[in-house]
Amino acid sequence: MSQRNESRFARTRACSFALAVTFGLLGAASAMAETAAEAPKAIDKAASTLESLKELDSKAPARRSLNIQSWNTAEGARVLFVEAHELPMFDMRLLFAAGSSQDGATPGIALVTNAMLNEGVKGKNVSAIAEGFEGLGADFGNGSYRDMAIASLRSLSAADKREPALKLFAEVVGKPTFPADSLARIKNQLLASFEYQKQNPGKLAGDELFKRLYGDHPYAHPSMGTAKSIAPLTLAQLKAFHAKAYAAGNAVIALAGDLTRAEAEAVAAQVSAALPKGPALAQTLAPTAPKPSETHIEFPSKQTHLMLAELGITRGDPDYAALSLGNSIVGGGGFGSRLMTEVREKRGLTYGVSSGFTPMQAQGPFMISLQTRAELSENTLKLVKDITRDFLANGPTQKELDDAKRELAGSFPLATASNAAIVGQLGAVGFYNLPLTYLEDFMTQSQSVTVEQIKTVMNKHLDADKLVIVTAGPTVPQKPLPPPTDKPAEQPLGVPEH
Amino acid sequence: MNALARCAAGLLLSTICLPFAALAADPQPTTEFTLDNGLKVVVREDHRAPVVVSQVWYKVGSSYETPGQTGLSHALEHMMFKGSSKAGPGEASLILRDLGAEENAFTSDDYTAYYQVLARDRLAVAFELEADRMATLRLPPEEFAREIEVIKEERRLRTDDKPNAKAYERFKAIAYPASGYHTPTIGWMADLDRMKVEELRHWYESWYVPNNATLVVVGDVKPDEVKALAERFFGPVPRRDVPPSKKPLELPEPGLRQITVHVATQMPSLMYGFNVPSLATATDPQSVNALRLISALLDGGYSARIPTRLERGEELVTGASSDYDAYTRGDSLFTISATPNQQKKKTLADAEAGIWRLLDELKTKPPAKEELERVRAQVIAGLVYERDSITSQASTIGELETVGLSWKLIDQELAALQSVTPEDIQKAARTYFTRERLAVAHVLPEEKTQ
Repeated sequence: MSQRNESRFARTRACSFALAVTFGLLGAASAMAETAAEAPKAIDKAASTLESLKELDSKAPARRSLNIQSWNTAEGARVLFVEAHELPMFDMRLLFAAGSSQDGATPGIALVTNAMLNEGVKGKNVSAIAEGFEGLGADFGNGSYRDMAIASLRSLSAADKREPALKLFAEVVGKPTFPADSLARIKNQLLASFEYQKQNPGKLAGDELFKRLYGDHPYAHPSMGTAKSIAPLTLAQLKAFHAKAYAAGNAVIALAGDLTRAEAEAVAAQVSAALPKGPALAQTLAPTAPKPSETHIEFPSKQTHLMLAELGITRGDPDYAALSLGNSIVGGGGFGSRLMTEVREKRGLTYGVSSGFTPMQAQGPFMISLQTRAELSENTLKLVKDITRDFLANGPTQKELDDAKRELAGSFPLATASNAAIVGQLGAVGFYNLPLTYLEDFMTQSQSVTVEQIKTVMNKHLDADKLVIVTAGPTVPQKPLPPPTDKPAEQPLGVPEH
Repeated sequence: MNALARCAAGLLLSTICLPFAALAADPQPTTEFTLDNGLKVVVREDHRAPVVVSQVWYKVGSSYETPGQTGLSHALEHMMFKGSSKAGPGEASLILRDLGAEENAFTSDDYTAYYQVLARDRLAVAFELEADRMATLRLPPEEFAREIEVIKEERRLRTDDKPNAKAYERFKAIAYPASGYHTPTIGWMADLDRMKVEELRHWYESWYVPNNATLVVVGDVKPDEVKALAERFFGPVPRRDVPPSKKPLELPEPGLRQITVHVATQMPSLMYGFNVPSLATATDPQSVNALRLISALLDGGYSARIPTRLERGEELVTGASSDYDAYTRGDSLFTISATPNQQKKKTLADAEAGIWRLLDELKTKPPAKEELERVRAQVIAGLVYERDSITSQASTIGELETVGLSWKLIDQELAALQSVTPEDIQKAARTYFTRERLAVAHVLPEEKTQ
């Protein structure tokens, strides 16, 4: 209920190499040309006026080195661990290939199973479990997405806190009892969420987009399922899902914090031993490319939500570094991207516009999303399409690419600055089976990407004529767009001096 | 009463009185100093990673605004990215982006703040740009003409097209009858429509001076280097008197206010707000500590009373929460919101009755020892967890300083909550949870006109 802050742009800029687990709907990349020369100009000019910039050497900044240790538990769970003794706490994240892509004929079962983990264990009901964690100051977390389901624990590292917290966590994840009254309540709460979603045009458009993009692929349906699919779920189905999808062989354990290697091994062994025994589930199959389409959802809002998408890439795609840089230039990097410059900065059409690739186990989406006032929606959509088409046709400029590389190198230290960030990186590396040197490799690869390469890979994966488009908003008479401002002329320094 | 005496006096929160330092990590070195021009600087060292966050907090926000001029602080925040003497419109963002920095800004009732998170060797660039726009903002009219359209889009996106946000805005307007807190931070649409760039210039010149700001730096830095950089870049910005500002004070007992809002929702819900003091306005800080403890008892976790009883036990609601912000510049609000459980045929009246049962119980019955132990454990752990994020450490420091309190309160948090007695809780509940202090919003589906 507290909604106090208004920000200039609410979306936190995802770190360019956001390895940190991306959960499904995050967006990613596209582009545009006549602006190309401007950003560089700004930097060049600023370099001559800013003393601090002149003093800065061009070396990449220092960063915290990550010594990732990895092993497998006796039951087959892969463990990734980073020792960090600065704070007396640790973070553990278990990732299971147990997201909604494993729902099969029962959409929503993955999410409901995940939500039921902390509802009961032997001798403890949901309140006793909550009291158990909270009485130790421990944070239990869970969540279910398309590829993965997660259970996490943050606790103080002192043995008198850590040990009971781990014991409870292991039971909750490995041996939940699935009480019937909890299932009834959670179904009710989900039904309430579905009702709330009906008032959210962005959510409606997003669901429709995935449906259009993925057809009969497991990514097509929302992770929450639907009112219709949730209602008939039975306890027996949940238990069966848990037994196969929360098996040790289907799990990755990411650990970071104030633990020695020996302690970490014991922690991982304890949790792994509590899980059901079993192998990894089969990988999600590749989707087939959708037909281009344009779908409108009539909704009585002031704004129209616009989403444009195509199938993107898998997490292991060798083109990721180049695509990621290309996307950063088109629309992934917040202010300064072509989309943000043209749609918001030059024309004031939107509060936020962004693009992004969400690499997943199977091809995740490439998506551009924005909102604008209803009467300008058609022409804004056209503008965004033109920007995308132009970028695909002409690629970035050398200067844009140099800037994007420099940005990436500069932001690298932020990716490993906190335990929370580290455990996120470890989880993604483990879950998507990436090499332990992934972060460094990505950085090295990125720095050698060329303009030609970006143009090539963007066109290999995207086609401006094959966009799947969904809009949600009211039908109103359309107006022309305001003219863009040119780059404001050099202004005199005649600002009142105080 | 000193801490030890409190401890001996039969504490609620602890069975053993250990000093905080024995329970968690050593406090992080924190240094404060003030430049000659009045800029207050707080530096907290965190050497875990070679990164740093720099935040500048101005003591101005929507609670300072007058009718007809709502939204000025937030609009000015947007315009702070539109150029100053050393960088043209949008250029500072490009420079920072180029350096790999995360940057943004935020506005609330009590403050407007700007931040950059970046590799430690780039801190000077953040300072130079921030100091430059503190002193020489350009406010080009043609940039404003476009940016105000962006702000209106922001309002449509985040308020007008969000039924519950829209209802909350209306609720807030009646919950604070006397103070500027009734003003929505983004501004009323009618005021955005008639806002002039000259008003922003006046707002900027009035409030954006070093003696009305706090610079907070947290990360892999030493106080001496920060001081040298701050003096170099912020030091030359001249001091200037700011208009007098007064704490937003409320009527202690405005009377029961009720509003019914019909919005595009299928789900009826309700909002409750009791007019209560904050740490900055309370004559008796103990009542504020008691309210904070009450907030934790009600909604401090999944084992707290609202989720345990209303959501799971009686299943009166599908969701409910309570919130109390003790760190406001003026009088605050203790809020409770709830969505009745429609599947169980529960009504707004049922949910309200459940809320009152919880509140009335606080007036008469002391909390169980285990409940208080849980709150204490969460506070202790939370203080450690917060230190995993340099941004969250800086934000806490900046917010406290900006609302007229001291960052040093962070280190006294545990002692403050431990000092609360069962009598304090009952007294606070009886004093504040009354109909005379209550504003209610019933949020209902739109009525069909057929």
